[in-house]
Amino acid sequence: MRVFQRGFRSFRRNLVRNLIVVVLLFVCLTFSMSMLAVKLAADSQVQTIKQTVGNYAEIKISSAYQMKQFEAERTKTAAERSAEARSLTTAQEQADRVASLVPEKLTDAFAKDQYVKTYDKVLSTSVTLSDITNTNIQQLFQIRENNGQSAGGAGGGGGLGTGGMTSNSFFFSGNTNGASASDFTTGAKKLIKGRYFTYADYTNSNPVVMIEKNLASQNSLKIGDTIEATVSGVSGVGSTMELKIIGIYKTVESESQSKSSSSSSSSQADFNPAGSTFYAPLSVVQKLNNTAGYVTLGSYYFDSVDNTAAIKAAYKKDATGTTSKYQLSTDLSDYSSIADPLLKARNTSVIGLSGALGACALIILLAMVIIISNRTRELGILKAIGSTDRQVISQFAVEILCVCMVAIILAMGATALIGQSMGNWLLPKTTTKTTTQSSSSTPGGAPGGMMGNQNQLYKEGSSFTTSSSTQKAVKLNVVYRGTLFLYGILILVGISLVGMAIPVFWIIRLRPARVLSME
Amino acid sequence: MSEQVIINATDVNKTFQVKAGEVNAINSVSFTANRGEVTTIVGPSGSGKTTLLYVVGSLEKPESGSIEVAGRDILDSGTNLVRYRRENIGFVFQFFNLVPTLTALENVMLPMDLAGIRPDEQRRRATELLDRMGVKDRLLKAKPTKMSGGENQRVAIARALANDPDIILADEPTGNLDTATGSTVIDILSSLARENDKCVLMVTHDESILAVSDRAFHMVDGQLSEIIL
Ligand SMILES: Nc1ncnc2c1ncn2[C@@H]1O[C@H](COP(=O)(O)OP(=O)(O)OP(=O)(O)O)[C@@H](O)[C@H]1O
Ligand SMILES: [Mg+2]
Repeated sequence: MRVFQRGFRSFRRNLVRNLIVVVLLFVCLTFSMSMLAVKLAADSQVQTIKQTVGNYAEIKISSAYQMKQFEAERTKTAAERSAEARSLTTAQEQADRVASLVPEKLTDAFAKDQYVKTYDKVLSTSVTLSDITNTNIQQLFQIRENNGQSAGGAGGGGGLGTGGMTSNSFFFSGNTNGASASDFTTGAKKLIKGRYFTYADYTNSNPVVMIEKNLASQNSLKIGDTIEATVSGVSGVGSTMELKIIGIYKTVESESQSKSSSSSSSSQADFNPAGSTFYAPLSVVQKLNNTAGYVTLGSYYFDSVDNTAAIKAAYKKDATGTTSKYQLSTDLSDYSSIADPLLKARNTSVIGLSGALGACALIILLAMVIIISNRTRELGILKAIGSTDRQVISQFAVEILCVCMVAIILAMGATALIGQSMGNWLLPKTTTKTTTQSSSSTPGGAPGGMMGNQNQLYKEGSSFTTSSSTQKAVKLNVVYRGTLFLYGILILVGISLVGMAIPVFWIIRLRPARVLSME
Repeated sequence: MSEQVIINATDVNKTFQVKAGEVNAINSVSFTANRGEVTTIVGPSGSGKTTLLYVVGSLEKPESGSIEVAGRDILDSGTNLVRYRRENIGFVFQFFNLVPTLTALENVMLPMDLAGIRPDEQRRRATELLDRMGVKDRLLKAKPTKMSGGENQRVAIARALANDPDIILADEPTGNLDTATGSTVIDILSSLARENDKCVLMVTHDESILAVSDRAFHMVDGQLSEIIL
């Protein structure tokens, strides 16, 4: 108690000398603390990023395999192709249909991996709806005819099983749960009426669909209405299926686009690429496509980007022998493009932090040497008049603690002011894409679109929803957080302890007789 | 007579190691000092006077001999020397040795603070002591640098008396004062011996102090011989 008072009094009475130390420490501590703030901010930001990016993987047809198939198809002449089509047996037809799909056996097996948190599977295909006309495709046909092209050759990227496009073709996206379809999770599309199809709809193969708002109103369709879909590759009984409309969605992006470009030409204004997409339970889409047990891709969220290697290894095991046909794609590059600048800034800040802390230690050590040697007589007096070494040391400790505390409090204040600029300064000056590449697929590419653009991951939503690439600089938000305060206290204790080393040594060794007779 | 003896030093030796070799600062010194008396040690510079005072005050440790203070040998390993200095000894120095950052009052309160006395009691006693030493009230809050040599020494004596010790060890208490101020300081110290029954052991160059002394020793080359007054 008295020690505190004496120490604090000593701090006040030696104010000028102590303030010089405070100022020096303040400068170094501000540097340390803002470096620390940058580090903490970068760490927590990377942690946040890890929750949404870098923990995604999907299994789909490998790009190499797709290229090969495409090349083989391209080199065939039209005559060869039609000859082939005529001579196909049912079994061959079925094999063709699933050639560019992934067996559920594989995607299900991989879903059992310990790191996988959520699992969805998706089948995207084109489905013929006899009652509705796809105005987009119709337009496309017109454009192609005007350009003297044949519509038949435009099958899209990998549309082996969907070659026969008609103006009644629509894009069907099936997964296990409507609400978790990526177009809805990304917010690109929004349910405005009715409900999502559920997991139960999927397991029971309930013939339900979600339709786009404009398409619905163009065709006077509402919730509860049914539309007739053609089942691919089946004739006679069971060649059609009645689909009940349970949900109507709108496309957020296309709405805002059409608003902003309302003055453009009428054909452009009508163009609503998103409108041709239906969402239905995977099992239903599989029936329509006549590809039970096959999907376009399996989509997975695993726990963290840190387990990317483990996930890849697990996939290798599951996919033994088929690795050339299927591939596991992750969003690691997305993660890297966001996290790398942050990690760089973090590493730089750690270096700066250690340097600045070293400087702090040096300053306090030197300051103590000077202060102590200036106050030797005082220490001698204290010991001569009956003060124990402990009392002298504690009094000094309190004084040093005061010095360090003032410095660190000021430094914390200053850090709150300059932390952000420090962060900006340390962040590498590169911009990165935070969303996927722009997808420039034509409407005709839509049916095969999911596969056509191999770089695009399902989790990013379908091609049309991200109409332009968003180049966004990675930002580091250096916010003041509680941990920084805790670290500040830790630094305070550390610096004070370092500062105490010399006084402790000096006080214990000091013989009062040596100094008391000095003039 | 013998019950008045408070310091009884026997065959004390203190050697310093210096570059040139050894210095026998105290050479087989034996002496006694009594309560209620002023005991003075005079002698040339470097003869070992200060060293003897520090040995008695436990600031220097002799190689051999015994120093009994109030019947207990302070050279015994069991002695708590910090406590001994705090409770039995009051130091007065030539250069005052007040803590420069503390006021007169705080300097006097300091030994009491170290001894754990309550702050209000510290203040009361310090004020009283300073008053007795003739330090003016307005100086209570003055720092040592703002006071004259005489005032500094009065504060220093008040501080020496703070914990009411039996022994005052004064090393040339007038060495830094003019003659008039010096003689007041001597008056104060001798009155402490006579009126408060303290043992005042004083080292000085100033032979005139012998006049107020009850006993006196002459020190030359670390050796002590009593002067018959
Ligand atoms: N710490 C020390 N280390 C080495 N020698 C010392 C030390 N202290 C004192 N001495 C030596 O011991 C001898 C006695 O010194 P001391 O200070 O006791 O003399 P003194 O009689 O007080 O002299 P003065 O009248 O000048 O104050 C001197 O020769 C001095 O040089
Ligand atoms: Mg001396």
